[in-house]
Formats: sequence, C-alpha cells, structure tokens
Amino acid sequence: MTALGELGRRRRITSELTRPFHNIDSVLVGAIVALSLLGVLMVYSATRGAEPPFTSSYLVRQALFVAGGLVAMGVVALFDYRRLLNWAWVPYGVVMVALVAVLSPLGTTVNGAQRWFSVGPFTAQPSEFIKLALIIAIAAMLAGWQEDIGPGRILKVLAVVAAPSVLVMAQPDLGTVLQYLAMGLGMLLLGGVRARYLIVMVLLGVGLSVAVLTSDTLADYQRDRLTSFIDPRIDSQGITYNQNQSVTAVASGGFAGQGLFDGPQTQLRFVPEQETDFIFTVVAEELGFVGGALVLGLFGVVCWRLWRIARSCRDNFGYLLTGGVLIMLLFQLFSNVGMAIGIMPITGTALPFISYGGSSILTTLVSLGLALSVGMRRFD
Amino acid sequence: MLLAAVLFKLVDLQLIDPDAYQAMSERQRMFEHVIPAERGAIVDRSGVELAVSVPQDSVYIDPGMVEDPAAAAAAVAPILGITEESVHAAIGRGGRFAYLARHVPDETAGRIRELELPGVATVSEPKRFLPSGDVARSVVGLTDIDGLGLSGLEAQYADVLTGQAGSLTVERGRDGRTIPVGERELIPAQPGSNLVLTLDRSLQYEAERILSAQVAKVGARGGVALVTRPATGEVLAMANVTRVDETGEVEVDINNAAVTTSYEPGSVMKMITVSGAVEEGLVDWSTTVEVADSLRLGDYQFSEHTPHGTVNWAIPEILSSSSNVGTIRVAQMLGEDGLYEYLRSFGLGDVTTVGFPNEQAGFIDDPSDWSGSSIGSISIGQGIAVTPLQMAMAFNVIANGGVYVPPRLVAATVDPSGERHELPTAEPRQVVSGDTADMMNMMLRGVVAVGTGQKAAVNGYTVAGKTGTAAKPQPTGSYLDAAGNMQYRATFIGFAPAEDPALSILVMIDEPSNGDIYGGSLAAPVFSELARVALRILDVPPPATDRATRFIDALPEAAKKVDAKMSQAVTNAAGQVLATEPGSRVRGTAVAAPPTTTAPPRRTP
Repeated sequence: MTALGELGRRRRITSELTRPFHNIDSVLVGAIVALSLLGVLMVYSATRGAEPPFTSSYLVRQALFVAGGLVAMGVVALFDYRRLLNWAWVPYGVVMVALVAVLSPLGTTVNGAQRWFSVGPFTAQPSEFIKLALIIAIAAMLAGWQEDIGPGRILKVLAVVAAPSVLVMAQPDLGTVLQYLAMGLGMLLLGGVRARYLIVMVLLGVGLSVAVLTSDTLADYQRDRLTSFIDPRIDSQGITYNQNQSVTAVASGGFAGQGLFDGPQTQLRFVPEQETDFIFTVVAEELGFVGGALVLGLFGVVCWRLWRIARSCRDNFGYLLTGGVLIMLLFQLFSNVGMAIGIMPITGTALPFISYGGSSILTTLVSLGLALSVGMRRFD
Repeated sequence: MLLAAVLFKLVDLQLIDPDAYQAMSERQRMFEHVIPAERGAIVDRSGVELAVSVPQDSVYIDPGMVEDPAAAAAAVAPILGITEESVHAAIGRGGRFAYLARHVPDETAGRIRELELPGVATVSEPKRFLPSGDVARSVVGLTDIDGLGLSGLEAQYADVLTGQAGSLTVERGRDGRTIPVGERELIPAQPGSNLVLTLDRSLQYEAERILSAQVAKVGARGGVALVTRPATGEVLAMANVTRVDETGEVEVDINNAAVTTSYEPGSVMKMITVSGAVEEGLVDWSTTVEVADSLRLGDYQFSEHTPHGTVNWAIPEILSSSSNVGTIRVAQMLGEDGLYEYLRSFGLGDVTTVGFPNEQAGFIDDPSDWSGSSIGSISIGQGIAVTPLQMAMAFNVIANGGVYVPPRLVAATVDPSGERHELPTAEPRQVVSGDTADMMNMMLRGVVAVGTGQKAAVNGYTVAGKTGTAAKPQPTGSYLDAAGNMQYRATFIGFAPAEDPALSILVMIDEPSNGDIYGGSLAAPVFSELARVALRILDVPPPATDRATRFIDALPEAAKKVDAKMSQAVTNAAGQVLATEPGSRVRGTAVAAPPTTTAPPRRTP
C-alpha cells in the first residue's frame, strides 16, 4: 500500500509539474511558431543583398532571437501568471528606470532616435518591453477594481500610460506612444469602463489629436508623416517616398508574388526599413497576395485563440492580461500592415513575430507566454 | 473589422491592378542609357569625305549621385576650363543628367575619368567633322551639337544620315549603382547611311577657289559657279562664295545661292527665246531680222547697248552680239504663249529634282498677266527670275541634243553594311529636236568664237555659251540702289567640248563694283579658267577631229550662203580648233578677221 501510495504521490508530483502543458493551446503555439519562422525567412530576404556574397548576419541573429523568444515563451507559460499579481509593478518600475536611462548618454542613437541600449553585439529597446509591463500593471489595477471604474480610476490608468509615453515621446517615437494609448484605452474597455466615459474619452482623444497636430508638440516630420498618407502622390521623393515605395512593392507582388528573393523593390532596397517597419512589403512583394493572406490568416488564428483564452478564463486578471496582449497585437498588426498598404500613416511600428529586432520578438513571445499560461490554467 | 479593411486594401492593391505598380517599380529601377547612332558620312562621287562623324567624349554630371558638390566642382572645373559656379548650377538643377562640357579632347576626358568622382562621368557622342574644311559647305550644310541636320543636305537627308539611336538598359539600386547580375538589355545603335554626292571634291575646291579669286578681284558681293555633266544631270561642283561684310574677305557661303536664290539672268535667256523660234520653224540659221537701235513695246523703250543703225542681222549674229532688239523681234514671232511654253519646257518656274532645302522655283508671270512690254523684257532675261541651277540645266538641253536631263546632287546612299543604293533618277524629256539643238549649239559656239563670250574660250577645246548681264533689283524696289546706282549680275553659261559636251559651267558674279559689269568680261574668264581645270580633272580629251568636221559639214548650206561672214567666223573658230594640236594655244594665233559688226562686242544692259 505504502509502495503504491508512494508511487501515486510521485505520479501526482510529476503531473503537478507537467499537467498545465496538457491544456496548452497547440493551435496557438503552431501559429506563433509558423509566423516566427516566416519572419526569419523574410528578414533574410530583406537583408541578404541583391547579389553574392549574401549577408547572413541578420538571419543568424533573428533566428537566435526567435529561438530565445520561444524558450522564454515556454518558461513564462509554465509560470503561474496569478503569482504576478503581487509583483505586477516590478516590471513596470524596472523598465521605467531603463526608459529614463536610455535618454541619458547611456542610450544609443539610431536614425535620429535615442531608443536603444547597446549590450555587447545586441541592442535592447526598453520602449518595447514597457508594453508588456504596461499590460501586467494595468491588468492588475483593473482586476483589483472589479469593474468599478470611475473617472478617478480612469485617470490613474491614463497616468500609468502617460509616464512611459512622455519618456518615449522624448526619444522621439510617436508610433510606440500611440500603441501605449491604444492599449490603455482598450484595456479600460475590457476592464468594464462605462460607455459614457468611453465616449468622453474618445472625444477627448480626438480633441487632443487635433491639439497635438496643430501645436508644436510634434516635429514637422512627424506631422507630415501622419497627414501625408491621405494623398501620397503629392511629393513622391519627399515625405511620401516611404509610403509610395511601400505601396508599390506590395502591389507589385500581385497574386503569387515575384518569388522569394526575387522582389526588385525589396532586393534593390527601394523600400526603407524593410527588415523592420516595412517587413510586410517583403512578404507582399515576394510571396504576393498568397503570402500576405497567409500572414494575416495566421494572425487571425492567433487573435482568435487569444480571444478564446480570454473568454474561458475564470479570473479577471487572466482575462485582462490576455485581452491586453490581444489588443497590443491587433493594434500593431493594423498600424504596421496598414501603413505598408497605405491606409494608415507611417509610424515606427514593428510587425509582431516578423519584423527584425530582439526586443520586439522577445516582448511579443513573452507576452504570448503569459497568455498561454493563462490558457493552460483555465481549469484550475 | 480592422482585419477586413486590411484584407480589402490588399485585394485592391495586389489583385485588381498590380501591373501599374509593377511598371512604376520598373521605371524607378531600370535606367536607359542612350547610345547615339553614328551619323552617316557625306562623301563626294569618289568617296572623299566632306562631312564625317567621329566619336568624342562629353562630360556629364548625375546630381543625384554627387556626394560632395564643393569637392566635385573644385576638381572638375579646372580640367574642363569652366567655372565652379557652373558646376554647382548643374548640380542645383537636379535630375539625373546634366552636361558639363561637350566634345572634349580625349586627354581631358581621360583626366575626368581618372578622378573617379561619384556622379561625374563621360559619354561618347559623335561629333561632326568636315575633313575637307569649308569645301562644299553650302551644299553639305550644318548640324547642331546633337548631330541634327540644320541646313543643306544634312537637313534634307537627315533621315538617311541619322540612323537609329540604341540603348543600354540596366537595373540600378536605390543608391544608383548598377547591379552586375541585374537585368540588362542592349539595343545596338543603327548607324546612319553614307550619302554619296555627285560632287567632285577637287573640282568643287577649284570652283570655289577660282570663283573666290574673281569675286575678290572685281569687288563683287558674291558669286555662284556650277559645273554639271549634261548627259547625266550630275552636279560636279556647286560653289557659292560671298564677301563677309565685316572683314571684306571672300569665303565659301553657307547659303547655297545656286538653288536658294532666284535672279534675273539677263541675256543668257536669249538662248531659250531663239531655240523656241528655231524649233517652231519660225527662224533658222539663214533668217535675217531687221534690227533697229531701239524698239518700243507698250510703255517701254528697248534699245541696243551699242548703237549700230538699222541693220539686217542673221540669227547667229543676233545671238553672238547679244542684240536686244533682234531677240525681241524673234520673240514676237514666237508669241507670248509660245515663249512662255518654251521657258517652262526648258525647266524654268519649277523646283528642280534636286529638292534642296529652301530651293526656289523662280518666277515667271503667267502670259495672261503680261504687259505690253513683258515679251520684250522676258525674252532677254529681265522680269523673270530663275535659279542658277535651272539656267544651267536649260543650257544642258542644247548640250544634250535637245533633251532635258534633270539635275542630281546625290548619287546614292551606302548603308551600314556597305551596300550601295543608287537614288532613282528622274526621266529625261525631249524639249527641242536634235536639229534645233545642233543649230543652237553652233550659234552658241559663235558667241564664244566671235561674239560677246570670247573670253570664255579654252585652249584646245571648242566652247559654246552665252553671256548675260542683268540689272539687279534693289531693296528699294527699283533697279536703283540707295545711292542711285544700278547694280548688276554678270553671267556666263556654256559647255565644252561643244562637239560632245562633257561638262557645262555656269558662272554668276553678283554686284561687281570695279566698274566693269559684263558677263563677257567678268564671268566668261572664270568659265575659261574653271573649264580648263575641270576638263583636266575630268580627263576629257579634245574631241576627235572627224566628229567636229562632220558637225560643221552638217551645217545648213543656206546658212553659209546668206550670212557668209557669220558662217565664216564660226567655221574659222572651229577650223582653228581642228587645225591645232590638242592642248596648244588657239588664241595666240587669233581668230582671223573677226566680223566688224561684232567688234566691240555688244552686251545687254
């Protein structure tokens, strides 16, 4: 009996450790892995160069990022997200310090924006990591309030969003700030904020946008980028160059694409930032509508599964956590692909899973690790 | 919903009209270098080059690729001998191409290439050279710096000469560098065809030289000399010289006045008047006409240049003494319509087959518009305008036994593969009978033997021809210039050897200013000198004696009887030629006793 009891206890311990994985969302994991691997391939195509010798340094690094990110995702999934409630402000605090530091001489300036820390051969971008910290912090706040959210609490959430926004605005990085705002407002909505507050907020948001666009807060180039997408043919070599090249690349792909490594717009580097912000143009030009639809479809699967996890979750914190990740992904997807095809203004936004960049990959995959963690524990 | 918007736009872009965007993408990455076609050469009848294109480098700048404008300007400007400001200006204009200097010496182009400056490069462009200098400049014409024909044959035969520019299309990246493995397409340039003229460069040069000397000597404004081959209509030399007002130097004119200027030719026209009358059977060798010192027609009094009282002159004497009244009497027999018909059938009033740019048709009033005096003035070459080429071709009718042979200036084209394509020739046409032509030929010999054209004689050869001296209309609208003086054009047209004409020559001296104005004294000597040179260059032997004898034997007996004096003079002149060894001097032995009536020679005013 004792032996049997011993055996039974052992089995319980083992299953205690692995049991959550039995409930892991394999469809979601499959879509994540597929998108990430496609991203590695696209980054390679965007950076190898038009003629031999081909460059593989981006390929290698992106592969490392993805591998590391997937491992991190697994580790985070194993971790019970509920323990985060007690530590919810730690990531936020740490990354806020980093955001302040990146503006100091410790930070590195690339393309006129001071966004990075150099760590050996890699660079870290705190403005990416803060997204994850924001999701955790806001989810914890809203979960505690139990849908009792008045104007004061709304302002608290907005203040949490505003703090990193001000710092990132100073880098400057408008696109990322817009993401923070979208995530803040979206999570408030999920958190049960009343409709009339939401309407007021939207009106305030519009008023604020108009005020920002007409004041001196934005640099001229930022204002131009935000407004030029309305008619991109005005000055093709000037402010709308990026948009024209991008739309041209996407449309050139046609149905089946120009073929992997064979897109002229991509290989001759007419599209700027094509391994990061404009990576979708590589997909669309070389793999055509088929490739573009595949990427959007995989994103659709990811969003669908995230929504499923959020709805099936029994605690408010997990629901808000997963919902925050979903909003983050959706907003990035829409603004990134939207700018590549000319229906959204050009803002520096990475396409999750696909764009080159360790910080972006890590943030995305760890966020999804959290969502997986939520999903695995939905029966607890 | 957001996803749907993205999908919708994606479908719109990628599935509805991707071609337009693909074309846009292609436009910005494919660059086309134009490879200029080599312009065909213009060569004389034996292949001597008159105008030829030689590749030469031009230096250009691609403002989009210049990295350091200041350094580029400082490096390039001194080599090209241009200012740095002009380099900056070229960069400032933007775009992808601006010339810095065109057709620079090879050494200069080499130094530019050695700089290896981004955005500064050379391109090979053909430049037009004239290996023969100014020779035939008025015929060949000009091209602009891009090799486009502006005037003359360069313009007229632009299609033949230009060829088809080729192109090299390469794929270039955003940084402007050509991609070695990228798409490239080479369309080779198709060189133009060569143009083979009927001109003989040596003869052209001599014509210009001899004419220039005379124009300078007699203080004329300019002159025209035409050498043609009567049997084929080929123009062997077409010389136009002009006095440059600023320097007073006489040089080859850029204007081809031989075809682009029509003028009142004066008494050379009498040849056509008499030919018409002979052809119509109204007069012949023996016909005599009562010639008074003056003749009133309508409101105009025509008069002889040298009064001689009323005399009976045979037709040959009327021609050799260039009698105005006598010729007008003959014209009256022919009638207005008859005269007009013969002027037209001799080729006057129509642009010739040469079709030269700006070629003039000349001007003949329709007989219905003639005044009472028109038949008088037109029959002696006033009140009618012709080009020198038209008039030379009219005389060729006589040289050719009555056949009008259309003139030719371009013989053939030679395509890039070396194949020669003869240009089609226009059909000759009979204008007067062989008998008429023979009789006129004989009479025109008389002009040179005993008449007004004696200075046209050439040692060892028989020359037939006619003088003309015509008042030149002035810008004032009358024949009097601003200073109240008459200005003249002196002409001689003739052919040699008269028995079997190998060439015909027209000489026209425009506005001589040294007192003498006459075709017989100003143009005829040029004919003589040019004919001597031309006969030598063309290697024309003096005709065999039997030929000439047969011709003289064929003279109507009546002519000999009725005007023994005239006939004797003509026969003497011919006899001199027959009796003399080829090449020896005829004039030294002199024509025996020229008829008193023809001394001094008469000229038309």
